[in-house]
Amino acid sequence: MSEPSIFFSEVNRRQGDFNRRAFLLGGLTGLGLTALGGRLALLQVVEAQRYEKLADSNQFNFRLVPPPRGRVLDRNGIVLASNRPNFRLMVARDKDSDVEAVVKNLCELVPIPEAKVPRLIRDIKRAPAKSPVPVMEDLSWEEFSRINVRAPELPGVTADMAEVRVYPFGGAFAHVIGYVAKVNDRDIKASRAEGKSPDPLLYNPGFRIGRQGVEKAFDLELRGKPGGKKVEVDAQGRVVAEDPGGDIPPTPGKEIKLTLDADVQQRALEVFGEESGAAVVMDCRTGDILCMASAPAFDANLFVRGLTTSEYRALADYERNPLLDKALSGTYPPGSTFKPTTALALLAAGVDPKERVHCGGSYRFGNTTFRCWKADGHGAQDMHDAIKNSCDVYFYHLCNRAGIDLIHDTAVKLGFGQVFDIGIPGQSHGIVPSKAWKKKAYRDPRQKVWQKGETLSVAIGQGALTVNALQMCVAVSRIANGQKALEPRLIRSIGGVDQPSGAAVPDLPIPKDHLDTVRSGMAAVANDVSGGAYRQSQLGLGDVLMAGKTGTAQVRQLRGAKSRKNAGLPWKLKDHNLFIAFAPYDAPRYALAIIVQHGGVSGALAAAPKAREIMRTVLLKDPEIRARIEKPLPLPDVQPEAELEGAAPDAPTDVDAAPPPLESGPLVPQPDQPLIGAPDR
Amino acid sequence: MSTSALSRPGERDRPLMKFLEIDWVFCLLLCMVAGAGGLIMYSVAGGSWGPWAAAHFVRFGLFFLLMIALSMVDLRVWFFAAYPVYVVGLILLVGVELAGDVSKGAQRWLSLGPVRFQPSEVMKIGIVLALARFYHGLTADSAHMSWWLLVPLAMIGAPVLLVAHQPDLGTAILIGATGVAIMVLAGLSWRLIIAGMVAVAAALPPFIFFVLHDYQRKRILTFLNPEADPSGDGYHILQSKIALGSGGFLGKGLGLGTQSQLNYLPEKHTDFIFAALSEELGFVGSTAVLLLYAGIIFIALRIASSSHSHFGRLGSAGVTATFALYVLINGAMVMGMAPVVGVPMPLLSYGGTVMLTVMIGFGLVLSTRVHRYSEVTSGRGSLL
Repeated sequence: MSEPSIFFSEVNRRQGDFNRRAFLLGGLTGLGLTALGGRLALLQVVEAQRYEKLADSNQFNFRLVPPPRGRVLDRNGIVLASNRPNFRLMVARDKDSDVEAVVKNLCELVPIPEAKVPRLIRDIKRAPAKSPVPVMEDLSWEEFSRINVRAPELPGVTADMAEVRVYPFGGAFAHVIGYVAKVNDRDIKASRAEGKSPDPLLYNPGFRIGRQGVEKAFDLELRGKPGGKKVEVDAQGRVVAEDPGGDIPPTPGKEIKLTLDADVQQRALEVFGEESGAAVVMDCRTGDILCMASAPAFDANLFVRGLTTSEYRALADYERNPLLDKALSGTYPPGSTFKPTTALALLAAGVDPKERVHCGGSYRFGNTTFRCWKADGHGAQDMHDAIKNSCDVYFYHLCNRAGIDLIHDTAVKLGFGQVFDIGIPGQSHGIVPSKAWKKKAYRDPRQKVWQKGETLSVAIGQGALTVNALQMCVAVSRIANGQKALEPRLIRSIGGVDQPSGAAVPDLPIPKDHLDTVRSGMAAVANDVSGGAYRQSQLGLGDVLMAGKTGTAQVRQLRGAKSRKNAGLPWKLKDHNLFIAFAPYDAPRYALAIIVQHGGVSGALAAAPKAREIMRTVLLKDPEIRARIEKPLPLPDVQPEAELEGAAPDAPTDVDAAPPPLESGPLVPQPDQPLIGAPDR
Repeated sequence: MSTSALSRPGERDRPLMKFLEIDWVFCLLLCMVAGAGGLIMYSVAGGSWGPWAAAHFVRFGLFFLLMIALSMVDLRVWFFAAYPVYVVGLILLVGVELAGDVSKGAQRWLSLGPVRFQPSEVMKIGIVLALARFYHGLTADSAHMSWWLLVPLAMIGAPVLLVAHQPDLGTAILIGATGVAIMVLAGLSWRLIIAGMVAVAAALPPFIFFVLHDYQRKRILTFLNPEADPSGDGYHILQSKIALGSGGFLGKGLGLGTQSQLNYLPEKHTDFIFAALSEELGFVGSTAVLLLYAGIIFIALRIASSSHSHFGRLGSAGVTATFALYVLINGAMVMGMAPVVGVPMPLLSYGGTVMLTVMIGFGLVLSTRVHRYSEVTSGRGSLL
């Protein structure tokens, strides 16, 4: 490698080699650069549009704008469920944000309960990066502005105004309307199971999904369609600019109008007070459900917020079971309120309503003695008397002439043993026993056979027979209507579209004279001085009278019990008290069924007074009934001056404007006396 | 070769003569590339000289003066400095191995007092100088095929392994490829070249799967299928392609590149500045920059082949090869044709270290031009 070893030719050869190789490497570099140029041409010229779209989808983002949830109204437009503004505080996690520090800072600004902090931190960490997690709701205005002022120092913290569901009546409609609650994994799974990708709304922080009743059944209608707010975002997800021109407005949820009447529903809950039970009122011309109350109720607003464990336990563990919808889901033995149904079955079997049965207080069938509620007996009873007095022996004696299957068929015709398409879930079928039912229900071949003795229990609404309050009300309204096999209707309109009326149905396949017989019996219960619930059934609304039937259903086996008396028994073992009614008797408009769970007295004492109060409310709200009640009383002696005064054109028509004072005459009509205010009858 | 005063002995050592012999077109192209880089830095900073553009220009100005100064340095000085620079570089690399700063999971930096620098950059110049120096004394036959070739192999191997162990795969590949390029330019036998290529091809898969670090392997797999995880590892490549593609033919305009302005483009002022430039200036701008690079490489190679000394030829060509590799690797990476390796676009990207290396290298190239008639071995040259 020393200097002299390199000769001139050697130098030339090295230069030649170098030049060729340099040319080659230069060419390769040129080729590489050309390849890069070609790639640029492909990306920037050929595929430019595709990448432009991708850049746009990077740059522009649609922030979901939740639609306002549809309101739920009562039949008169009173709001039962709507939305109120809600200032929320949310925290979104970023890849390298210090969640603990952020939450700690927030705790100094707003009152976040100490106990909730670990859970919040966990929730935020679990949520996907950059998706906000609600930390606190219902901030006060001061808190809201405090957060917004400090927002630049609090990474990932946002405070915004959203809407949250509110139920102005609290618990009064909780069972019918249900409530909304936070979305959980099961909702998303359920939505996936339907083969659709879940509604993006489900992922929207703070979104709530319908959980029960109307909110659940019409969740999609109420929910509406989300809109989008077009924003320009940077890679960190921060909004750089807004583009109002590109916004897509949300489609609000549909408004749902119910057939319920808020006043009636509230009155029903009032009369229940602390007691447990259900009341259903129907318009027996249209099938509209005016009231469907279950007591005690719970405040649906608590569920929107989210219950604490102790709040939930308090509701779930209370023996009066506020979470159960006793109007639809709870089934009860109807007791004597079933007697009109049995009577219709007897008439269908050809029993003469004039036929008399002697009641001596008990009835012996086979080896068993069946007792009438009146230990010393009712004496000779025809069908009218039997319904009026609720005589058990009459029905014990005759029921097997109709047989269990005819009783079953009649009950089904009236609406028992079935669920109705009222739009909301949760109805129980109850049990209307029949031979076929027993065959199916029991496994032991000896038990599969229907015993005639069992018919006796069913005939007075006991035994295996169970019904729910809605079925009872449907049955009364069908009896009261007399013509149509009315279907109950709860949803009046959805988004302004009327739902089919409950009266557009086939006729009730029961002869009219049969119904008349039963109705007169029911009228006597309420209006005959010797009727089972005479005193409790007087409406005090002039000639507008109520017909009804009481019921007391045992929940314990009487055999072995010392007494039928309920006093001193634990609440759970007390009798159920029931009452069914319709009014006005002469032109039925409203039907009602009420169950007082473990009322412990009798249908007449516990249930009828409540029924009367509810019925009064309903009747007084009906302008036609009002007009009928408020008719001027006939003036005994018209004095000429008064006549002149009354004839003056400008004279105020006092008489029409205000209801007549009570002193002016007995408003409560006495049975067997001509009815005041309706002299034409 | 133009007839210039340089061909007259005595004239060629006058500083003014030398100064005039500098290839000013070459210098202009360098300034244009650096200027384009500064412009884009100004733009992606939201129309601001801070934090990058001003520093970039100041730095480039200083390094440009350094390059001019170095171009005046006699090639013989370079020649004598070759081995010492290489050895110092190697020592520094060992030092990094023993006492380097760990930054982003790799040991690359060495602190000497207040100065932190990457010894691998010294080696980029060192390897070129040392190999040129070595081949300068080697006969064509020996350079073609002989046992002597084990020496350059060892000279390349030692720094490559040390740098790869830091781990800095990008720089290791760059040093290795530069070394191999010089070997080829020096006249390596085609048989050896082909044998070497076959050996590398055979060793690559096991190398990727057994030797590479997880993150390096991931980068390669991501490169092969960037859409698999668009918000994770494929993110850089995908966003870079979106930036390029959405720029279209004429670009979105300066300061209007959504990808770079809204930070979707990662490292928009350094490794991915070419994508930012392509987004805002379009196909027209990006190909113009590529043409500038092509011009620089062409001129540098012409300077190399015009040199009368083998050292000057190989040295300049080696520097050019490093530069071209930078451009090609970064270009391919930005366009989604190569895995993401931390190789910047020379002169265009922000960053002083690489710019310094490149400008010192070009100082050698210009020195080769200025001293193209000098015989390196005929004694010690004066500094100016």
